[in-house]
Amino acid sequence: MKAAFKQLLGGGIRQFGMVIALLALLGYFQWSTGGKVLTPTNAQNIINGNSYILILAIGMVLVIIAGHIDLSVGSVAAVVGISVALSIKDWGIPWWLGVLLGLGVGMAIGVWQGTWVAYVGIPGFIATLAGMLIFRGMNQEIGNNLSVPVPKEIQKLGAGYLPEWGPTSTNMNNSTLLLGILAIVLVVWSAFRKVAKSRRLGLEDMLPAAVYMRAAVLSVVIAYLTWLFGSGKPGTSFPISGCILLVLMIIYTFVANRTIIGRHVYAVGGNRSAAALSGVNIKHVNFLVMANMSVLAAVAGIVFVGRSTSSGPGDGTGWELDAIAAVFIGGAAVSGGVGTVVGSVIGGLVMAVLNNGLALNGVGSGKTQMIKGLVLLLAVAFDVYNKVQGRPSIFGLLFKGKSRRAAELVSEAGQEEVAEVPVAAGETAGRG
Amino acid sequence: MKKFATALITLGAVGALALAGCSSSDRSETPESSGSGSAAAGFPADATIGVALPQKTSENWVLAEQLFNDGLKEAGFKPIVQFANSGVPEQQNQISAMVEQGAKVIVVGAIDGSQLGTQLEAAKGTGATVIAYDRLVKNTEAVDQYIAFDNYQVGVLQGKALLEGLAKRQGAGPWNIELVAGSPDDANATPFFEGAMSVLQPKIDDKTLTVVSGQTTFDAVATQGWKAENVQKRFDTILSANYSAGTPLHGVLSPNDTLARGVLTSVKQAGLPTPVITGQDSEVESVKSIMAGEQYSTIYKDTRELVAATIKAVQAYQKGEKPEINDTKSYDNGVKIVPSYLLTPVVVTQENAAEIYANDPTLSALTK
Amino acid sequence: MASGPVILEMKSITKLFPGVRALDEVSMTVRAGEIHAICGENGAGKSTLMKVLSGVYPHGTYTGDIVYQGKVVEFKDINASEAAGIVIIHQELALIPELSITENIFLGNEVRGRFGIDWGEARKRATELLARVGLRESPDEIVKNIGVGKQQLVEIAKALSKDVRLLILDEPTAALNEGDSEHLLDLLRGLRAKGMTSIMISHKLKEIEEIADSITIIRDGKSVETLDVALGGVDEDRIIRGMVGRSLESRFPDHTPKIGEPFFHVKDWTVEHPLIPGRLVCKKSEFFVRRGEIVGFAGIMGAGRTELARSLFGRSYGRYLAGTIEINGKEVHLGTVQHAIDKGIAYVPEDRKALGLNLLDTIEDTVVAAGLHKISKLSVIDPTAAHVAAEGYRKALNIRTPSVTQGVAKLSGGNQQKVLLGKWMFPEPDLLILDEPTRGIDVGAKYEIYGLIQRLADEGKGVIVISSELPELLGLADRIYTIFEGSITGVIDRGDATQETLMRLMTGTTSATAG
Repeated sequence: MKAAFKQLLGGGIRQFGMVIALLALLGYFQWSTGGKVLTPTNAQNIINGNSYILILAIGMVLVIIAGHIDLSVGSVAAVVGISVALSIKDWGIPWWLGVLLGLGVGMAIGVWQGTWVAYVGIPGFIATLAGMLIFRGMNQEIGNNLSVPVPKEIQKLGAGYLPEWGPTSTNMNNSTLLLGILAIVLVVWSAFRKVAKSRRLGLEDMLPAAVYMRAAVLSVVIAYLTWLFGSGKPGTSFPISGCILLVLMIIYTFVANRTIIGRHVYAVGGNRSAAALSGVNIKHVNFLVMANMSVLAAVAGIVFVGRSTSSGPGDGTGWELDAIAAVFIGGAAVSGGVGTVVGSVIGGLVMAVLNNGLALNGVGSGKTQMIKGLVLLLAVAFDVYNKVQGRPSIFGLLFKGKSRRAAELVSEAGQEEVAEVPVAAGETAGRG
Repeated sequence: MKKFATALITLGAVGALALAGCSSSDRSETPESSGSGSAAAGFPADATIGVALPQKTSENWVLAEQLFNDGLKEAGFKPIVQFANSGVPEQQNQISAMVEQGAKVIVVGAIDGSQLGTQLEAAKGTGATVIAYDRLVKNTEAVDQYIAFDNYQVGVLQGKALLEGLAKRQGAGPWNIELVAGSPDDANATPFFEGAMSVLQPKIDDKTLTVVSGQTTFDAVATQGWKAENVQKRFDTILSANYSAGTPLHGVLSPNDTLARGVLTSVKQAGLPTPVITGQDSEVESVKSIMAGEQYSTIYKDTRELVAATIKAVQAYQKGEKPEINDTKSYDNGVKIVPSYLLTPVVVTQENAAEIYANDPTLSALTK
Repeated sequence: MASGPVILEMKSITKLFPGVRALDEVSMTVRAGEIHAICGENGAGKSTLMKVLSGVYPHGTYTGDIVYQGKVVEFKDINASEAAGIVIIHQELALIPELSITENIFLGNEVRGRFGIDWGEARKRATELLARVGLRESPDEIVKNIGVGKQQLVEIAKALSKDVRLLILDEPTAALNEGDSEHLLDLLRGLRAKGMTSIMISHKLKEIEEIADSITIIRDGKSVETLDVALGGVDEDRIIRGMVGRSLESRFPDHTPKIGEPFFHVKDWTVEHPLIPGRLVCKKSEFFVRRGEIVGFAGIMGAGRTELARSLFGRSYGRYLAGTIEINGKEVHLGTVQHAIDKGIAYVPEDRKALGLNLLDTIEDTVVAAGLHKISKLSVIDPTAAHVAAEGYRKALNIRTPSVTQGVAKLSGGNQQKVLLGKWMFPEPDLLILDEPTRGIDVGAKYEIYGLIQRLADEGKGVIVISSELPELLGLADRIYTIFEGSITGVIDRGDATQETLMRLMTGTTSATAG
């Protein structure tokens, strides 16, 4: 039973806790606002209003897994935003060229930061603190402290919707519907594939029923989301910024879990010396995560100026903190080596829903910040508490974690040698 | 095989559910009237009214929050008044949330007037009316009206007050002055500065006034975020570079009270005598300072008056009437000329403070 | 039994963790003024017992009585036991590397003067304490600048500063070389002569045989027996028999080497210390390895064995100055670790936790970590292949774990070492360099590791074993090189080697060449 549930959830227990928190928040706010949270428009608002932070969180989790931090992302996004806006306005280049130029600026900044961190050996905290100042100033210099509007096409990237087409009898945005159907097909197909594979390999610890159940639950969730996003006012759909986010999530989850460079990022964060002695080029890895972060900051900056219809001198202030908070709420460890892309996005969504729900309840800015701070603290404290207690969190409380707990304690008693190791997240680390 | 079958059935059910979901779509509803013709329609007298204010950085905004809450309630509306302390994204989200709560009028005191286009257009999409309060909303069609004090006029008054104060307190000219402007991301900062310079520039040109630091352009004298700490830092530098060798500083043009006090702090720390300095907003601390003979002047823009005018406009929209407009030329937001209702500010100095603040319970107490 | 009154009696101590009996009715009696050793395999419950005694597991979390100096004591934490004069020195030293010896000794127990800490008095007392433990260092020396052996002595000085009556040492010599170990044991004898009672946990049976007055053996959470050394008949074999419950026929599996042609040559290898210019850690070293041969590297700690191995392994240590490596007669340049791996070299480091494993990883992730390209196409990893590979090693190496998706941090030392070996067998190297492959591993697991090493050699690979335990090299290696201060001082065939000849070469007293 227990094992079945564990497989049902797939990922780490930590992430499961965050999913529960997210659902609980949604439920609570849905109730307290009288049903204003789960409406098509509000769901679209949540995605549109936070996708740039979630995009940053994707890059930030890799940086944090590798054992660094990037404080400059907000400033980098701001520089890219103003570059894009001004180049299109002043030089009259087409919008797509402006976007490419923005990504190029992001890449150039990434090379700069990566070089300092990886090859000169400046700690990421310092190098990006410097970057934060440099690029904030650069944003204000380039933009003369003014707000510069961006063209409609870029506004679409940050606040636009998928096209309407086909029959209206579906009563939904057909692009969203198609997307949802594709996602469900993919989920079902991968479930069958997974089971077939485990049969072939003869893995005993795999329960097909759990896999199917998981796929079914996921499909229901996707179906619901498809309906939620697709049934809004005509002309609205699942937001384009959300699509950008989804594509990035898929790519980066794949990179983190299934590619050599992804494994190397975890290896460097988990044990630098061991990674070096396993043939990992540490400088290379450090360079890539830092450079990648700036490129994603560029994407976030472009999405944000799109949403805001213009680039302003205050863009990006405090974003680094939102992104970092999302990553830690999503289960990453400060010491590196632990974290997942999906977890970080979920962590970011917890914050987003919190913001949105509090705003809908008319809670003021000051209180909102206090609540967010407490949530961050409690989420991480919850994690730390569970590690110390060796307890499997909510999950264990729900299903009397007897077997698992015993197993952990056996291992504690059974190996005096390892006892001193801060039994870091080996298990809760779950890489999605 | 049994499990396999179960799985298939479950998945089938999912498909059914997905289809079932479609039927209850709110697409079938006719979208509410969109576009700008909303003013003619009117709306229920107990409608929700959203007021999105910027960061809680001055007393005026705190007062405005209270006045909006009380005034709108009294008028029978349901007010939602929110500050956006953590910046533009928060204000964007708040406006979206207000729309979601069915606000019929959205009053926006923008942090950055050019970054709210998407949200305000969404608001217009639901048929709501958008009023730009105190700060103009730029680069979007989605604004119906602008209500503010005449900011250019504020600048002109500040410039005149500075000249008057110099003549009164610093003997005969020529005089040494320094300039301060507001935050570059606030649309009002420019008219303040330009209004003041329309008075001061001729005097600088004829050498009656000398800006010793040489910083005379808006960019050079702007204060990011209207923050006192920023102007204080700038003045620490200017004073030590230009006024440490006995050069007297006679006057400072400051666009508001917070910045004026920041400048005065810096001047005091440098051990220099108090210059003639202007201000704006009639903040309690500055009124005290004026009465004590330190700050020379401030501007009284009665927030009560501004909020009252705004609420009057909201009531007009509610009844489907046209609100009062007294300027249809000056405020071009980049996309359209925004019809405006401008109120006239007054200069306050030590001499006329008691008279002007007579109706203000807090401030009048300070003038006695 | 050794004379002297009973100072400590632990009676029927039972410590339960849910689902497991870590200690089951364990009893032991310690007499005042003796050195009492506790022996047992890893996981037998030695450390748990000491944690019960020192209050780490407070009274109430175990059953049974602790009678100390004639009274039943109920320690609620480690401070309570220290107040009673029981001080435990853990295997991992609790010193702050950046502070001075004096500061470390009085950390948490500072000498108060009228104005804050009285440093003059503290230094004076530290000097006395250092004299008592026979450490000739300035009390102002920064701890990180002195060797591990001396740090251990500082720990003891720290314990003595607390008016200790019962000193518990957990594996005090695990990280020490022979000389330092000897010094430490002498110090313990000296303390015993002055009436100090000590309890010592050690895996080094030879030491125990040498120093202990009585020995309590713990097996599977039960106290098996207490041996009185004075009565005679206690030797290593006797202790092992008690620990494993049977006598080990041999500590090494039978093996007939199948040695082939030399394929790996190192010539003129010279490497400079990474931080100290001019200091050579390898001086014109020359050696070779044959296929199917197990080559031992003997040397005291700091002689430069690890430095030699790591400098060969993709220059991962020090600054390369000169020398060549030839594999199969062709000169190769191994500029990075990846090059070295590509050319068929594997290096299994001495410090499993710091250098070998990512403790956050699962077993399957660890096993494939050094050969990701083998299970990937276009840089995309096939997780199934990783799983299959890990399952293969689990069976082949007898790694005891319920699943290869388990985290490596949960494994015992021996199983971690097997996983590490699996990790370095996975890239299919021709030459494996094993640095202290059996450090901190219990007797049973050692036997298995020896078998594995022999199997690797039989597959035609060359194996270099670096070890500080001479009996291990004598039992395992076909040929042994000795290293002293960065130079290779000799090479001896297995048949000709004895501990004495090796020791002489390792300490630079003679030089010899053979085989």
